Amino acid sequence: MLERRKECIAMLLAGGQGSRLKVLTSDIAKPAVPFGGKYRIIDFPLSNCVNSGIDTVGILTQYEPLVLNSYIGNGQPWGLNRNYGGVRVLPPYAQSKKSEWYKGTANAIYQNIHYIDMYNPEYVLILSGDHIYKMDYAKMLRYHKEKDADCTIAVIDVPMEETYRFGIINTNPDGSIYEFEEKPKHAKSTNASMGIYIFKWDVLKQYLTQDEEDAESENDFGKNVLPALLKDGKRMFAYNFSGYWKDVGTIESLWEANMDLINPSVPFELKDSEFKIYSRNYAKPPSYIAPSSKIGHSLVAEGCKIKGEVENSIIFTGCQIEKGAVVKNSVIMPNAHISAGAVVEYAIIGEEAVIEKDAVIGKDPSDCQIDLWGISVVGTKKVIAEQQVIAPKEIV
Amino acid sequence: MIGDTMKMIGIIFSNIYDASLGELTKHRTLASLPFGGRYRLIDFVLSNMANANIATVGIITKYNYQSLMDHLGSCAEWDLNRKNGRVVFLPPFATGGTNVYRGKLEALSNAITFLKRSSGEYVLLSDSNNLCNIDYEKVLENHVKSGAKITVVANRETPENFGDTQEVVLNAENGKVTDIALDHSYTSDNLIGMGMYVVEKQFLLQTVEDFVSRGYYDFERDFLLRYFNEGKIDVNVYEFNRTVLRNRDIPSYFKNNCRLLEEEVCDDVFDPQNPIYTKVRDEVPSYYDENSVVDNCLVADGCSIVGTVQDSIISRNVVIEEGAVVKHSIVMQGTVLKKGADIEYCIIDKDVVISQGRTLVGAETAPVILQKGTRI
Repeated sequence: MLERRKECIAMLLAGGQGSRLKVLTSDIAKPAVPFGGKYRIIDFPLSNCVNSGIDTVGILTQYEPLVLNSYIGNGQPWGLNRNYGGVRVLPPYAQSKKSEWYKGTANAIYQNIHYIDMYNPEYVLILSGDHIYKMDYAKMLRYHKEKDADCTIAVIDVPMEETYRFGIINTNPDGSIYEFEEKPKHAKSTNASMGIYIFKWDVLKQYLTQDEEDAESENDFGKNVLPALLKDGKRMFAYNFSGYWKDVGTIESLWEANMDLINPSVPFELKDSEFKIYSRNYAKPPSYIAPSSKIGHSLVAEGCKIKGEVENSIIFTGCQIEKGAVVKNSVIMPNAHISAGAVVEYAIIGEEAVIEKDAVIGKDPSDCQIDLWGISVVGTKKVIAEQQVIAPKEIV
Repeated sequence: MIGDTMKMIGIIFSNIYDASLGELTKHRTLASLPFGGRYRLIDFVLSNMANANIATVGIITKYNYQSLMDHLGSCAEWDLNRKNGRVVFLPPFATGGTNVYRGKLEALSNAITFLKRSSGEYVLLSDSNNLCNIDYEKVLENHVKSGAKITVVANRETPENFGDTQEVVLNAENGKVTDIALDHSYTSDNLIGMGMYVVEKQFLLQTVEDFVSRGYYDFERDFLLRYFNEGKIDVNVYEFNRTVLRNRDIPSYFKNNCRLLEEEVCDDVFDPQNPIYTKVRDEVPSYYDENSVVDNCLVADGCSIVGTVQDSIISRNVVIEEGAVVKHSIVMQGTVLKKGADIEYCIIDKDVVISQGRTLVGAETAPVILQKGTRI
């Protein structure tokens, strides 16, 4: 079926189980984890797509897709409810000859070749669903076209001492790529791959098919597909991105990225009417801030009732902080309830969790032996009993 | 029951009482007047209809309805962008006998084609100025059971001064109306009409044709009161027992906004089982500075608060700079209070800028009103 041609469509790899986020992803996929007061992680790449003029997005997912699926719905909150294109959640499915889970990132795209072919695109943008950033992919596509590249990889400059955590991309002065270094001990450059690729679709399709035929392959973009293109001398370029970009794949980084939103020295502005981040809205009234409250240096979304003390924290939609409760340096996810006398410090409280009276969650690092300290986490829908103490670093 | 209210068509009057809200409705319909920090008046009645699965709604407009159209858009937020239903604007028919209608009956004559073409046995007529969270399924059930020609939705109010607005004051026994008076003093024994009626469609169509062709235009006075007095119709009353916020004039509008600060009122009106929907603006969560003081306020998304705010309703995207003080006020979307600005008992419309150090003080019964876009 050859339809009207789309110039560029996006495929969003949202398949990660997110096991490093532990109790926060026990029943939802990582991209559906709440972020920043009223968003979910996936709002960022989705809004980036829309703000870049990309109106066709396939979301590849296989773990706990229910929440993600109902969150995405028909895509209306992002303006992705299109007759031709729009957003689709693409879980693995049984085919006539075989059925299998997504074995790797490349295999996930391979299994959806038919979906992509429906739009007969010139270019395919591959995204991952676990970073917080704002990026105009249209600029990257323009660069990709200027270079007449087969593949363009977005890179960001990272500090030399952190290069060991990333896939490092080494380039010639014209931006063409000559080498990949996967988590190198001594990197040659500080250009880290952001896991954002643009391919010419015909080239990608050929390499995905070859990769699938190779029984040895792990079917991974970074490990198999990109090196194969490079080996064959395909035109590969690095596109330099500068701006805020943060992985939220671990408890610490998720907490930090939330805190970055209220850190004036971090150059990341959510508020920008020209580049909004869209999210599904739950029709809650404005937040009620009671006379007994004290809110300092915090973000509070709508639908909350704040009667206690909130400092340096991110309070998501629909939370209740009772009179006499104290929340400091914490991330309180949607519809959580913090009862009177409870103290929550340096913690992430999951969606719909209930902290009963006088419970104590987490601790200030200055009151704690530093090797014992860490962010405390209360899982989704968890109830913490009266006066229960959750130690720093503890995850329940 | 599922499916019952699919038999009902909604009609919303968007600007019958425009004049009573003065400056606030100069550039908009009453229905699109902001309320409660993130809503417009029409959100309440339209959400109640949507929650009752009334999927065909006609909105009767007169003039200045651009802001209303912009607000409703495709009605996706209300889930009313459906194939088996529609929301239709019904502006005046300029070629008719009158360009601009004088009352609800006359306005309905513009809706005749819409009503005839929409499937449904019953019509729910509603003003947009009385706010509540009401289950129209129950109202319809009650109407059908009563066998009456028309059902008036009403509640009990504590006696107070009425002003010059027309209100329907009822005496009733066992749900059956025994006396109707318009614009009359009342006690807590009376039921006061909420501007919401359920009528059979065929009867309504016939009534509108009969009355308008004879020069009548007022629904309550010319039709309801007259027909009842002449014994031509039985009138059923549905007594509503929850919160009703009647926006009759500026003081009541001001007071009703502030009533949302009472937890029981807020929880009742914004019942999570039957949410009140509004246009989604995708604003960021609000930021509260270290030095901010916020006491007894409703605060919508997208605000930045550094100064002091007390007993106030703060809409989306409002900026309250360092040292600015807001007390007993309603501040609408996009307004900026510069450093040291000081306001008390004010209604500040959208996109106003109050410069450094300015002071504005009104009174509870006569708040200072700044019109949209004012710079002072």
